[in-house]
Amino acid sequence: MNAVLDGWSIDGATVMHAWAIATAATVAAACALVGTLLVVRRMSLLGDAIGHAVLPGIAVAVLAGGRPGGPLVFAAAVATGLLTVWLTRLVRSAGSLSDDAGTGVVFTTLFALGVVIVTAAASRVDLDPSCLLYGILELVPFDTVVIGGVEVPRGFVSAAVVLATLIAAAIATWKLQVFTAFDADAARAAGVPVAVVTGGLLAATALATVAGFEVVGAVLVVAMLVAPAAAAELLVRRLHHMAGLAITLAVVGTCLGYLAAWRWNASAAGMIAVVLGLEYVAAVVLAPDDGLVARGLGRLRYAWRVLCEDRLAAVWRAEEKGTVAAAPASFLQWLAVGWLRLTGRFVGRAGGLAMSVAGRREAEMIVRSHRLWEAWLGRHAQLPLDHLHPPAEWVEHHLGAAMRQRIEAEVGAAGDPHGSEIPPEA
Amino acid sequence: MNPPACLAAAPALTHNTLVVAAGVAAVGCAAGVVGSLSLLRKRPLIGDAAAHTTLVGVAGAFLLTGRRDLPTLLTGALVAAVAGLAAVVLVRRFTRTRDDAATAIVIGVGFGLGIALLSGITARGLPGSAGLEQFLLGHTAALTARDAVVLAVVSAAAVAVVLLGLKEATLVAFDAAFAAATGWPVGWIDQVLVTLVAVMVVVGLPAAGAVLVTALVVIPPVAARQWTDRVPTLLLLGGTFGLVAAVTGVAVSAVVPRMPTGPLVVLAAAAICIVSLVIAPRRGWLARRRRQITLEPPRA
Amino acid sequence: MPTLQSRLPGPPPREADVADAGKFVPPVVEFHDVTVAYGGRPVLWNVDLTIAEPCLFGIIGPNGAGKSTLLKSGLGLVPLVHGTARFWGRPLAEVRGRVGYVPQRETVDWDFPVSVMDVVLMGTYGRLGWFRRPGGRERSLARECLDRVGLIDVADRQIGRLSGGQQQRVFVARALAQEADIYFLDEPMAGVDARSQEQIFGVLAGLRSEGRLVVVVHHDLRTAAAWFDRVALIDMRLVATGPTAEVLTPANLRRTYAGQVDLLEEIGQAVAARGRTT
Repeated sequence: MNAVLDGWSIDGATVMHAWAIATAATVAAACALVGTLLVVRRMSLLGDAIGHAVLPGIAVAVLAGGRPGGPLVFAAAVATGLLTVWLTRLVRSAGSLSDDAGTGVVFTTLFALGVVIVTAAASRVDLDPSCLLYGILELVPFDTVVIGGVEVPRGFVSAAVVLATLIAAAIATWKLQVFTAFDADAARAAGVPVAVVTGGLLAATALATVAGFEVVGAVLVVAMLVAPAAAAELLVRRLHHMAGLAITLAVVGTCLGYLAAWRWNASAAGMIAVVLGLEYVAAVVLAPDDGLVARGLGRLRYAWRVLCEDRLAAVWRAEEKGTVAAAPASFLQWLAVGWLRLTGRFVGRAGGLAMSVAGRREAEMIVRSHRLWEAWLGRHAQLPLDHLHPPAEWVEHHLGAAMRQRIEAEVGAAGDPHGSEIPPEA
Repeated sequence: MNPPACLAAAPALTHNTLVVAAGVAAVGCAAGVVGSLSLLRKRPLIGDAAAHTTLVGVAGAFLLTGRRDLPTLLTGALVAAVAGLAAVVLVRRFTRTRDDAATAIVIGVGFGLGIALLSGITARGLPGSAGLEQFLLGHTAALTARDAVVLAVVSAAAVAVVLLGLKEATLVAFDAAFAAATGWPVGWIDQVLVTLVAVMVVVGLPAAGAVLVTALVVIPPVAARQWTDRVPTLLLLGGTFGLVAAVTGVAVSAVVPRMPTGPLVVLAAAAICIVSLVIAPRRGWLARRRRQITLEPPRA
Repeated sequence: MPTLQSRLPGPPPREADVADAGKFVPPVVEFHDVTVAYGGRPVLWNVDLTIAEPCLFGIIGPNGAGKSTLLKSGLGLVPLVHGTARFWGRPLAEVRGRVGYVPQRETVDWDFPVSVMDVVLMGTYGRLGWFRRPGGRERSLARECLDRVGLIDVADRQIGRLSGGQQQRVFVARALAQEADIYFLDEPMAGVDARSQEQIFGVLAGLRSEGRLVVVVHHDLRTAAAWFDRVALIDMRLVATGPTAEVLTPANLRRTYAGQVDLLEEIGQAVAARGRTT
């Protein structure tokens, strides 16, 4: 496997690496931009399919004399990409199959065809079969053209051209793309040429795929298309923020991946995909609202609050009846009692713990919420008595003073359906 | 890719070659049978995430044990495949990410991790590491007779499981709501099917490689579906087409130097599929054209 | 101070109370305080429904009112927020073999490669258990059921090549093959031609005269008035339940189907007509 980095001992090695990183980052930005729309339109797997299926187009174009990364190859890739979609529809309707089955048949067949063409013609063509699967990023800096007196890798030039084209196309058609993404039927009804818009997105995917081809190979392009966009989706809410964040994540991830590959002597393409994946995992865990950490903490906090409030209310109810509340039944309840004591709602008294003034007030409010809700349900929902307690058990933790006053105004201070008195507002 | 030199020699119909061919035939047949069930259950691509993560398992098994015999590597591949499928399920359950994006991420990142590990192994020139890349696109010439027997046994077991539970699988695939209402554990039955697919993906690695093995599970059933309206026949044809495709691909790759096996197997399956789509009676393209031309009404 | 208890009918009699009175036959189907929500939106709310005798029972209500959901919750197909469903006083898991189900037709893939006979045989799988194949007894039972719905001639046809009415009758035949004592049918007449509807109704009436309970979710008020012995009006809550003539009154219907006045007049007349003939 020649797709591995090791320290070069020639001068200007850093410049080589810099060019490689720049090329990879440019391609990643292009893929992330396209990927944002693919993810939002649930076309991620179609992006994967196109990534595989453009291979025979590229192979034929190179055999016909096109330069890898040249315009002929790009044109052939776009044509093959659109052909893939058309073939998928054909297979689907011919075989009465689902979307997935048609896609699966078409893209694997085209990819296999591409590999066969490339391998068979390997002697006549400078397409290394290994680059199919994991790109030749490390060799990109060595193939240069001269632009304005500076030696620039040809791969970087084509990647930059692709990125510029995609950005221009995005700016020009962004509103249409977003509209179609969110509601294709409404867009069609409003006169948007949905087929053209979708076709344009597919063509853009094919372009980004071919650009990614040299950098990470056919199979890993999907990582660059989908992972940054999916991570961005978890972190921001507006679509253009999502695109911007996806591009940023992609560029940062690519640089880190390349450096990691350099450090650990592994495939750059593989490490880039891995780092992009780690970025996604980080987003899943750390996202402020949806992240696992945030959700877990939120649930814990809520469960703890409910536990403490239930304990307070139980003590108050026992006092109302003139008995003593049962001892904590579990370790968690015992902890809750300790916490209530720590926060000043229980105080030590002779013979055990009792509610402080603040604790009593809080308990009264919980019981008030509970009984007001039961009264409201009884009045408006005409439920039998044994149906009132469970919902009130839950709602009592969620009513605030304003809500309680409104409910009281409706039901009057007559008392709850079981006949208990409703404590007044503190 | 540098295949071992033995490929350059002309193939001889030795006992070894025949056993290997039989093993690959069994794999192709079982993949077609299991794939037919997936097709009925409307989840034909469920093996894709599994297939792309197998590389991690192959590399991991080699790194952990230092051994590169087929059973060890395939066991690692199976563990990784199951982990990949579990990852997809976890992402779907615990995040807002859409289903297809979840699968695509596992495919891309899983494959990337596999490539990173394999490249690291090869670059360090660890003893015995040559040839691990053959799992990318398939390479049966290096299979021993013992390996082929292992593959054949696992494939036969998979087919046996399918035949044993065929009535349950058909019921769940046809009407999961009715199955659940009448007390069948639909979730468990689906799990068994997914596990079978993962097993077939792993067993198909030597023949087709990680990138293309899903084709072995997807294409023959699609071809078989065009010919029949009965489930037992569908399974039989799916198995047959899978078998033929696998054997053809392996045979051609033995004759043509330097060509990895996977693409040839896939192209053979695709050829069968295209022919089926065109000439199958009633569902084929030709048959439909003929009905339109003669204005024959759809049979009531 | 007046409490709820004095104003409303009490909760259903509990076993302990009634046992003292002598004989106690548990209700056949009992939904108690059933509440179902989809994604935080309530679909059914505190539904108490008891069907205590074999009859043809209709569940009527507007679209989206939760009728299908009530059936599915009884069968364990959708999760309950709270509440229970009991059959002969026991949970469904204990009596599954005695409860048959005909789901809505849209959930099925008609391109699936099975024949009419294959589908009807699926009704016998519950009794066969794991890994056993249907044998002679199952096949002759399936043929009987097909005969009963008038489909014995198309037994070997693939299900996609049937008309709408025939497809529905296949599912009824499958339910018959379950040999159950309670049948739940979800909109069996939807999209079915009038002749097939009459045929299916005939089969259901036959089941009722055999002493089984047939619960049908039904969308058409006109035929509901004519066909069912007892009905329940559902609109997220249970509006009313009881014998058809008592429940399908203009007042109840107005509460449920607010705004469809002409329809109400027709229904009123149909119910009155039935009241005269029965």
